[in-house]
Amino acid sequence: MIKIVKRDQPSRAIFFLTPILAIFLTLVAGGLIFYIIGFKPFEALKFFFIVPIADMYGFSELLLKATPLCLIAIGLSFCFKSNNWNIGAEGQLTFGAIVSGGVALIFYEQEGFYILPIVILAGAIGGMLYASIPAILKTYFNTNEILVSLMLVYVSKLILDYLVVGPWSNPEGFNFPETRQFSDSARLPILFEGLRIHAGIFLALAAVVASWFIFYKTYLGFQMKVSGFSLKTAKYAGYKGKKMIILVFLISGACAGLAGVGEITGPIGQLHREVSPDYGFTAIIVAFLGRLHPIGIIFASLIVAITYLGAETAQIFMQIPKYTGQVFQGMILFFLLASDYLLFFKIKFTGLKK
Amino acid sequence: MNTNLKISNVTKIYPGCVANDNVSLEFNSGKIYALLGENGAGKSTLVKILSGVIIPDEGKIYLNENNLKLNSPLDAKKNDIGMVFQHFNLFETLSVFENLIIDSDEQRKSLREKIDSIMKKYNFSIDLDIPVLNLSAGQKQKVEIIRCLIRNPKVLIMDEPTSVLTEQETSELFLSLKKFSEEGILIIYITHKLKEVMQLCDEVAVMRRGKLVSVSQIKNENIESLANKMVGQNLKTIKKRKTKTSSDQLINITNLNFISEDPFETNLNNINFSVNRGECLGIAGISGNGQSELFQVLSGEILSDKNSIEYNKNYIGDLNPQERREYLMAFSPEDRLEQAAIPQMAIFENVALNNFKSSNFFNNGLINENKIKEHSKKIISDFNVNTDNIELKSQFLSGGNLQKLIIGRELITAPDLLICFNPTWGLDVGAINYIHETLIKINEQNKSIILISTDTDELLKLSDKISVIHKGKLSNIMNADEVTSEKLGILMGGGN
Ligand SMILES: Nc1ncnc2c1ncn2[C@@H]1O[C@H](COP(=O)(O)OP(=O)(O)OP(=O)(O)O)[C@@H](O)[C@H]1O
Ligand SMILES: [Mg+2]
Repeated sequence: MIKIVKRDQPSRAIFFLTPILAIFLTLVAGGLIFYIIGFKPFEALKFFFIVPIADMYGFSELLLKATPLCLIAIGLSFCFKSNNWNIGAEGQLTFGAIVSGGVALIFYEQEGFYILPIVILAGAIGGMLYASIPAILKTYFNTNEILVSLMLVYVSKLILDYLVVGPWSNPEGFNFPETRQFSDSARLPILFEGLRIHAGIFLALAAVVASWFIFYKTYLGFQMKVSGFSLKTAKYAGYKGKKMIILVFLISGACAGLAGVGEITGPIGQLHREVSPDYGFTAIIVAFLGRLHPIGIIFASLIVAITYLGAETAQIFMQIPKYTGQVFQGMILFFLLASDYLLFFKIKFTGLKK
Repeated sequence: MNTNLKISNVTKIYPGCVANDNVSLEFNSGKIYALLGENGAGKSTLVKILSGVIIPDEGKIYLNENNLKLNSPLDAKKNDIGMVFQHFNLFETLSVFENLIIDSDEQRKSLREKIDSIMKKYNFSIDLDIPVLNLSAGQKQKVEIIRCLIRNPKVLIMDEPTSVLTEQETSELFLSLKKFSEEGILIIYITHKLKEVMQLCDEVAVMRRGKLVSVSQIKNENIESLANKMVGQNLKTIKKRKTKTSSDQLINITNLNFISEDPFETNLNNINFSVNRGECLGIAGISGNGQSELFQVLSGEILSDKNSIEYNKNYIGDLNPQERREYLMAFSPEDRLEQAAIPQMAIFENVALNNFKSSNFFNNGLINENKIKEHSKKIISDFNVNTDNIELKSQFLSGGNLQKLIIGRELITAPDLLICFNPTWGLDVGAINYIHETLIKINEQNKSIILISTDTDELLKLSDKISVIHKGKLSNIMNADEVTSEKLGILMGGGN
C-alpha cells in the first residue's frame, strides 16, 4: 500500500533533489510523446539531448545559450527571493540590447580599447532603466509589477522593430531589418577560433559569484530573504521596502541588459529583429529549477540550454518543429512544481494490508 | 451517549528532544479536562497527535474502544475530533465565511444559517464577509472556534483558546464550554492560566518534559499546588516595589492621529500621553480597539506626523522602526508568527531581525554571523529558551519558547524604552514570572515601558499609570494604585 504522509519538516535534501526528479520525469514524458507521434523514443531523446553536445562545437553552443539564461536567472533571483515578480526580463534584455547597440553604432567606424566597456555599460544601464519602470510604478503607484513588466516586453520588441527597420537600418543593407556591423572594438571577443563561445560567459560567472556573496554574506541579502518570507516582518524590522524593491529590479534589469549585450556584440555583431529567442522568459524557469541558488542556476541553465539545441537538431534530423524545445521547457517547470509536493509530504510504502 | 477517549503509551521523538514520553491518559465525556505544563512540555504535541496533525512514533488512540488510525487531520475530523489550535490556521486574505466554507461540505446557504445560529447562541459577533486579515487576534480565535462547532464534534480540544480573549469574552466562552460539556462533548483544555483551570475544569493532567507527571481532581488542588506541579518547585510571588517615579519625561505623544485607508482597521483619534523615565504606562483594552494600530504607530511601522512623537527631545514621528531602534527603543509585537519572527528561519536569523547599533550584527553591509550567534546563545540561556540549537528553525520552538526568544531579543539590548504588546501571551507561569521580573527590573534601572496588554491582572501588577483604549481613543491616564480591575472593565467596555 502507498500512503502519503506529511513531513515533520520540509526536507533540505529533497529541496535540491526534486529538480533532478523533475528532469527525469521530463525525459520520460518526452520519450512518451515522441513514441506517440511515431518516433523511437530513445533515438529521439538522443537527437534531442546527446547529439547536439557530442562535439566541441556543440559544447560551445551549449555554453553560448546557457550564458544569457544564467545571467538573467541570477538577476531574476534577486527579485524572486524578495517577493518581487519581475517577469519582464525579456523586455529588459531587449532594451539593454537597443541601448548598447545604439552606442556601438555610434562607434561603428572607430576602434579603441575604451569602446567595449562603454558598450557593455550602456547595455546594463539600458536594462536598468527599463526595469526601473515597473519598480517605480510599483513603489509609488501601487501597480502590479507582473503586468507592467510583462507588457513592457512587447513595447521593447516593437521599439527594436521600428529601429532596425527604420532609422538604424543599414544604409547599404538592401532593406534587411538589421543595422550595420559593429566595429571589432565594440564586440565581445570570441574565446576559441572557429567556435562561437565568447567572453560574455565571464560576465555570467562574475554574476554567479557576486550573487552568491550578496545572498549569503551581506545585510542586503538578509533583508531580501526576510522580505521574501514576510513583508510584514520586513516592515517591523524597519527595512526600507521601497528602496529594496527598486534595487532588486535594477540588479535584475542590469543582468538582463548584459545578456542582451552578449547577444548582439558576440558572434552576431549587429542589432537585428530577433535578439533573443525568449531567453528572458525561459530564464524564469531556469531560476526556479535552480532553486534561486547561484550554483543551482548554473546547472539549470545548462540543462535548459540543451532544450534549445536539441530542438534545432530535432528539426534538422527528425523534421519536427523546433517549438518542441518549448514543450520540454514547459514540462520541466510543470514537473518541478508537481514534485515540490514531496518537500512537504513523503510517500510511504507499507506492506500489503490483510 | 458517552464518549471515552484513551491515549495509550504515546511517544513522539524529535531530533534532540522527546516531546511525548510514553504518555497514557483516559478521558470521559461529561467532564472538562485541563492539560497543564511548562512551555515545551509537549502539550501541543499530544493534542496534535489526537487531531491527526502529528503521527506518533509509538502508541495508540482509542475512541470508545475503537483503535483510531489518525494519519491526517481529516481522519480526526471524520472521527468527530475537533481542535482549535494554538496558532491560527486561517487564510488571511479570504473572508471569514470563505475560511469556514473551505473544509465544510455544506451548501453556502445552510452553512451561513448554521454559523449565524452558532454566533447567536454563544454571543460572537463577527462580520462574515470581511477578510480575516482585518480581524483582531481575539476575533480570529473565535473564527477557529466556530469552525469546530460547525462539525458538531464529540471531542473538542482547545489549545490555549483564551490567550487572546478578554475576561468578558473568556467567561462567555466558559459558559459555552460548560454547555458543550453538558451536551455530552468531551473537552480537553490547554491553558497556562491556572485561574481558568480552577474555574472551568473537573480534572487536570500535568506534563513535564514530555512525561505525564500527575492526574488529579480539581477539587483537591489549588493554584499554588498546580503551579508547583508544573514547574516542579515553588514559585515566588513577585510584586512591584513602589518606586518614586521621576518627572524626567522620555516620550511625549501629542495630538497623534491615524486615519486608516482600510475600513476594518481602527482609526486613532487624538492620542496624547507621556511617559517618564523609570515608568511603566499600561494600556488596557479589549482586543481590536486600536491596540495594534497604536503599537505600529509607536514602533514606526506606521509613520506619523514628525512632531507628534517627541522622544528624548527629538521629534521622531517620521522615523521607521530601524531608525527608532538607534534611539534605544525596542518593540515586541503581539503577533509572533506573522510579524515578530519568521518561522521558516533559524533562531539566530530571527535574532538578527532587530539590528540595534550596539549589537554589531552587520558591519559595512556584511553579516557578522559569529556576533549574531554569540548573541543568540546568550538570549537562549538568559531567557531559558528550551533548546541549545540556534540553527533550529524557529517554527519548531513551542509557542511559549518562541515568545521568550522574541521578548529576550528585545530586552537583552537594554533599551531605554520598551514597547510591548501582550508580552506574556502563551507563556507558562514560570516564564511569565520571569518576564514580569525582567520588566520590573527595567523600570528599576530608570528605563521606561509602554505595556499594551489585554490582561488586566498583568497591567495592574506592572503599571505605574494606566489608560484604557476604546475605539481608538485613550481614556484619562490614571495612577495604577487608584484603579481597580472593575473600573478598568467598565472603561474597556466604553463606559465612564
Ligand atoms: N518539528 C520539530 N522538531 C524539533 N523539535 C520540535 C518539533 N516540534 C516540536 N518540537 C519540540 O517539542 C517540544 C514540545 O513542544 P510542544 O509544542 O508540544 O510544547 P507545548 O507544551 O505545547 O508548549 P507551549 O506551552 O509553549 O505551547 C518543544 O521542546 C519543541 O521545541
Ligand atoms: Mg503549545
